[in-house]
Amino acid sequence: MPNLGELVGRLVTWIGDLINDSSLRLGIAPTVSLLVVVLVLLSLVARPSSRWITRDPGRLSGIGRGMALAAEAGATAALSLGTAGVARASSAAERLQTIAVLPLVDHVARAAARAGVPIRISTDDPVAALLADAAVEAAHGATGTRERRRRSDVEFVGEGRLPSAGLALGVEEGRVTGFMFGGVAEESLLLVHGLADGPDGARIGTADVAQASSVLLEGTGTLVGADLFAALADVRTTGHARTAVMATNRLIVVAVLVIGMAAAWALAGGDPRSLLGLR
Amino acid sequence: MRRSLPAVLVVLVGLVLLLDLLVANPTLASLADALVELVVILFAAAAVLGAVALAVRHGRAVALPADDRIGSVVVLVGMAAVLVPGLLAPEGAAAPAVRWVVGALLVPLGASLLALVVIFLVPAARRGMRARPAETGVLLGAACVMLVLLLPLGGAVGDVTGAAADWLLAVPVRGVLAGLLVGAAIATAVFAARVVFGLANVDD
Repeated sequence: MPNLGELVGRLVTWIGDLINDSSLRLGIAPTVSLLVVVLVLLSLVARPSSRWITRDPGRLSGIGRGMALAAEAGATAALSLGTAGVARASSAAERLQTIAVLPLVDHVARAAARAGVPIRISTDDPVAALLADAAVEAAHGATGTRERRRRSDVEFVGEGRLPSAGLALGVEEGRVTGFMFGGVAEESLLLVHGLADGPDGARIGTADVAQASSVLLEGTGTLVGADLFAALADVRTTGHARTAVMATNRLIVVAVLVIGMAAAWALAGGDPRSLLGLR
Repeated sequence: MRRSLPAVLVVLVGLVLLLDLLVANPTLASLADALVELVVILFAAAAVLGAVALAVRHGRAVALPADDRIGSVVVLVGMAAVLVPGLLAPEGAAAPAVRWVVGALLVPLGASLLALVVIFLVPAARRGMRARPAETGVLLGAACVMLVLLLPLGGAVGDVTGAAADWLLAVPVRGVLAGLLVGAAIATAVFAARVVFGLANVDD
């Protein structure tokens, strides 16, 4: 009866024999190039689905609960697109955030439309307002609730970052849940504080890392830095995209392990090609 | 078709601007300049339409009894206070009345609003402690440590606290911020590539 060490040893030997018996058809460079192209394309195209992931970035899975609370209370949901806008004089990285978060806006608008909760979207940029209006329109169309469209509202609150913050702080209307996705600056604490005033708090996402402390203090769920872009992949996709991403991630792990082993072998004085079974 | 046409336009414009960045060609440069000018004109038109929409919205709110009439009147009066002198005076936006409104009203109002950040930090900390005590405790603890280390103390104690504050700012704080920035930059680059190559369904 072999012990566990012998079993693992035989397994490793068998895998090593398998690798030793193999050879590349195209050579190292073309094979690596092909793999990189495929992996990069898969990473770019595929998007995982939140139904299959174990973590919940930004507590986005609680959006439905927040909308249910709002529906029970007969209250509204507030969403701000940040203060960077699309056509404003802010940095390109900030403005790109406004475009990037549109799937999140669509996700929230669908949840609001399904729950029958009026959603109030505010922005300081007229072009962003147009985009958000189209997202709300599409959300009501997709959920078959066009009759509720007039209850929701997209508002251009005026030029500049401070009107958005002032309005978020000053609105007396009862709201249960709030959202802020997009670029912000030093007014972030005021904007987020106003949005997070309801019992369900606010889900906040921004890639502006300088404002991370405000977001982390006030947000019920937070997406900071790269998380904002990663969350886009989780909100709505198909199963095959998720499968492709999982396969891609595993391939990347295998590739990194093989490269690491080869590097370690080379550092120890061996020939990496002999380790990989290349002739 | 409704969805593919904007995607095709985005890809074409993105590729033209990208090529113009990489290749020096007079025809390509003029095409890229024309596209950028078109975007500027579109954005300017959108800004005018946005101001009109804002005025219409608040004009309607003044007429309806259920809405916040006072707020809407303030918005309309504020718009008129900048717009009317700017349109009437030959200097336009550089008219003394416009400059007075900006310098004596808008800038102090903005500064006082931003000053509220200090006050709102306290309820924000309280809210954070209620929602996520452990994480907020770490955040506030680190902030308190930094505040203590940055106290203007003299003597040997001041040297030690100053050196510790410098080290904290230069090594862990900068390291964490750099890591977050690198992650955000990579994610932004990937998203930009997806938009340019038509892979990001931003109109979904």
